[in-house]
Amino acid sequence: MAEGIEVQLKKGVLGLCVLALLARGNSYAYEIASRLSAAVDMGEGTIYPLMRRMQGEGLVSTYLEESPSGPPRKYYAITDAGRQRLDAQASEWREFVEAVEALLSGKENAGAQAEGNDDTQ
Amino acid sequence: MTRNEFLRRLRSGLSGMPAAEQNDIVADYEAHFDAGMEEGRSEIEIAEALGNPSRLARELRLESGVRQWREDRSPSAAWAAVIGFMGLATLDILILLPIFLSVLGLVVAFYAACFGLFVAGGAMMIVGPFAGFPGGGMVAFLMGLGVMGVAIAIGSILTLVSIGLINATIWFGRLHYRVIQPAIGKNDV
Repeated sequence: MAEGIEVQLKKGVLGLCVLALLARGNSYAYEIASRLSAAVDMGEGTIYPLMRRMQGEGLVSTYLEESPSGPPRKYYAITDAGRQRLDAQASEWREFVEAVEALLSGKENAGAQAEGNDDTQ
Repeated sequence: MTRNEFLRRLRSGLSGMPAAEQNDIVADYEAHFDAGMEEGRSEIEIAEALGNPSRLARELRLESGVRQWREDRSPSAAWAAVIGFMGLATLDILILLPIFLSVLGLVVAFYAACFGLFVAGGAMMIVGPFAGFPGGGMVAFLMGLGVMGVAIAIGSILTLVSIGLINATIWFGRLHYRVIQPAIGKNDV
């Protein structure tokens, strides 16, 4: 089940990672998938349902661009709505990480505080 | 799994969806294979990295139903979303199915009752004045109108409730595949 939690976490932040990548420049799905799967260790195929959903929600838009070899490629670009979502989710993520980090590194302090609170009540 | 095998299983999982959308999805995965092979990866490597095509198809099918539902709040779009949800077809959905179906049945019954009330009100309003309604023609007309109004009010509340129910179903479906059973991992089912 430990692995399950890891997978859940990764899956939950996948959309945030895609938005962060696209905020730095337009890209096509294969590139997004290979960059994310290297960093987050995800099944590459999950990128397509995710991209279709984000397109449906208006967070990304698509256009075709000639590729140096083969047929034109479908590129994804982040929209204004996507940028807003990215900002909101990124700050949510940072708050979450900070809170977890504080708990992990300062167990004793947190415990002492909790006890202190109990005494005052 | 070879490229053809992957695409075949994906396609069979998508069957029943609008043809244009199926082709669009398959084209995405074909482009993925093309791009991977340009980088010198083998078909089998790429297919393995993509994950289980049947699971991906289930996820894509639910997303397609959800999109239709967002674009037009019609009964057929609601149906597509519900079918996509059923397509996830895993254990806890089977457990939830009896509850889900009885809620669905209840909603349908309420709609039928609402329709019946509306028709009855109409009959009271039109036929009442000529059929010796107690209190006279005017009373029959006004009461009929009142009953129809009540039917319309209940109907609109029902519509809101149904929209809420479909949205809750979608929320649960997404939670289900994103959190409980993500479509990743190499264990083919």
